[in-house]
Amino acid sequence: MSSHDLHLEGAPFLKEQNAGLYEPAGSKSLGEATERSSKQNRAIAAEIPSWQDWRESARQIKQFAIANLDKLLVQFEERISARGATVLWAENAEQANRLVLDIAREHHVKTVVKGKSMVSEEMELNHTFEAAGIRAVETDLGEYIVQLAHQRPTHIVTPALHLSAEDVGKIFAERLGEPFSADHQHLTNVARRHLREEYLKADMGMSGVNFAVADTGTLVVVENEGNGGLSTSTPPIHVALMGIEKVLPSIYYLPVFLNLLGRSGTGQKLTTYTHLIHGATPGKKLYVIILDNGRTNVLADPATHAALHCIRCGACLNACPVYRRVGGWAYGWVYPGPIGSIVTPGLVGLKSAGKLPFASSLCGACQEVCPIKIDIPHQLVHLRHRAVNEPSPMNSLSERLTWKAWAWAMSGSKRYRLAMAAVRLGVRMAKFLPWHPGKLGAWTRGRELPRVPGPAFRKSWSRHRSQLDSHDRSDRT
Amino acid sequence: MNARDAILQRIRDGLSAEAPVELPPVPAVWPRTNPSPEQRVERFRRELEAVQGELIRCGSMDEARSKLADLAQQAKWSVIGAADRPMCRELLAGYPSDRTSWAKQGWDPKQIAELSVGLVAAESLLADTGTCLVANDTAEERLLCYLPATCVVVGRADQMAEHLPDAWEDVARHTAEPDRRGEFVLITGPSRTADIEKILILGVHGPKRLVVVLVG
Ligand code: SF4
Repeated sequence: MSSHDLHLEGAPFLKEQNAGLYEPAGSKSLGEATERSSKQNRAIAAEIPSWQDWRESARQIKQFAIANLDKLLVQFEERISARGATVLWAENAEQANRLVLDIAREHHVKTVVKGKSMVSEEMELNHTFEAAGIRAVETDLGEYIVQLAHQRPTHIVTPALHLSAEDVGKIFAERLGEPFSADHQHLTNVARRHLREEYLKADMGMSGVNFAVADTGTLVVVENEGNGGLSTSTPPIHVALMGIEKVLPSIYYLPVFLNLLGRSGTGQKLTTYTHLIHGATPGKKLYVIILDNGRTNVLADPATHAALHCIRCGACLNACPVYRRVGGWAYGWVYPGPIGSIVTPGLVGLKSAGKLPFASSLCGACQEVCPIKIDIPHQLVHLRHRAVNEPSPMNSLSERLTWKAWAWAMSGSKRYRLAMAAVRLGVRMAKFLPWHPGKLGAWTRGRELPRVPGPAFRKSWSRHRSQLDSHDRSDRT
Repeated sequence: MNARDAILQRIRDGLSAEAPVELPPVPAVWPRTNPSPEQRVERFRRELEAVQGELIRCGSMDEARSKLADLAQQAKWSVIGAADRPMCRELLAGYPSDRTSWAKQGWDPKQIAELSVGLVAAESLLADTGTCLVANDTAEERLLCYLPATCVVVGRADQMAEHLPDAWEDVARHTAEPDRRGEFVLITGPSRTADIEKILILGVHGPKRLVVVLVG
């Protein structure tokens, strides 16, 4: 995918300047909710004695699945085709969109109900439908709200986490003509009423795939609202979208993943509905679209293979101090948070997303909570290394010159002293400037410049040392 | 080269440097502690109620029928739509036949949505999560679980497994049957959402109420 396909508005990490970082992209409710989820995650992990064993098992199973990805995908295709499904492959979002449109046109589809699918966000499928004059309705409540508001999801599990009940009430009033309310039950009822009609008149239903089981040819869809069940069984056609990495070798491995996913994603022992779909339901059509869209780029770098182990539980987002502060939009694309900072550069290339691996404090909280034990921090460091050596915004001329100058200034005590004197002078003088240029301006717009502290450490150290020395001498005499 | 072959080729290229990985053992997940049937049912009740489901425990099918009639009266149910399974047939034997509708091929989803209750039979029950495992062979059976405002699952106490891994051998075997169609669904409580400010609300798209009728 080329960079002009990306919508980078509100994506401070990907912009040239970090202007916009201090606009309220995150929100109080986001910060609080993610903190609560993260505490819950830790409590669950501490409660279950075998939690660490589960993580290790899941990691090994995923590692096996990726190491045998070609064979497993072929096996999955064969088994699910034998159960009446049509399997289609797409190298990129454009091909996948075309496949979906072809299916819709062939069956004269006017309305599509969509269960949650991150792949469909990757494809920007709703735009494609709109352009083709087909009504596509998101049915996951969070996705529905975000779609009505013409926004992007901020979180992969709870897409409307940035909106308050009041915001939702306003959106429903504006877009659906409903009387305003900020009552959760009432808002949910409104959505239920509207979406019921959509399910019943839809000609096609879509879903994502949580796991694709190779040895049985089973699609596993995990959800809470019932929209997954309805989207896949009410209309005459079901189109399932999956990335190539979703495959599991055997049905026998599923329990450990279901146990991990429910607990890590939403703090549930099991989600309300786990559907094991055995191919096409009698009387209905099933299409499975298997999408690459840059995932094989991730495979091309052995150090990043584990990024394909992700089961999209969202735990690392909730745990991340950076995500909590800035929210999902700051990451500029479909996958935010720590895992997004690995997956996005992999899928769209370092050239447009090379800054993302730097949007982390490397505190390690993400790796600690990840149910598949993905070593996110080390992958981020690896990608940083690549980003400064390969074509990327972190390898621009100005970046290179800046770091050259830094390296020069840091590699001799005289140069260091000189550089620090210049910095102190600069900070003292900066407040007298009427405006701050470039990056400095973006930085100071949201922050106070620090006060220059008293004498430098080196100065006080040499004074203390001379005092200590004289103490020593007087002790001995 | 078509998309399929191109993708598979790129995968093989990416994996060529990869050392082979052995098929990992199937993790036990939870140990088996073999609780007594009574302990299982109690655990099931606790877990089901924790996810806002309701358990109606009956010593016999006769008792179940009369409890169902009470429930129908209280909640003013009219038509119950049911999957055509022996256990559903038994449970509805006393229910007025003009207020009973059996799943049939080509049943219009609009009619299923109008039903007071969708009744399905459990394949097995999981004590430690309060889960019902239901096998829906057809679209109509699937819709019975999701469209009516109340979902009733009927099961027998001897179908109660300790937990997911305990029931999995059967699930895996049945899932592998080449002729099997439709879905297995694990149902743990009524439909829910926490998408607005993470506040839990029941009955968003699917049933608002889940009742498990446990016989024996
Ligand atoms: S990287 Fe791990 S914690 Fe983050 S979404 Fe994926 S599976 Fe969950």
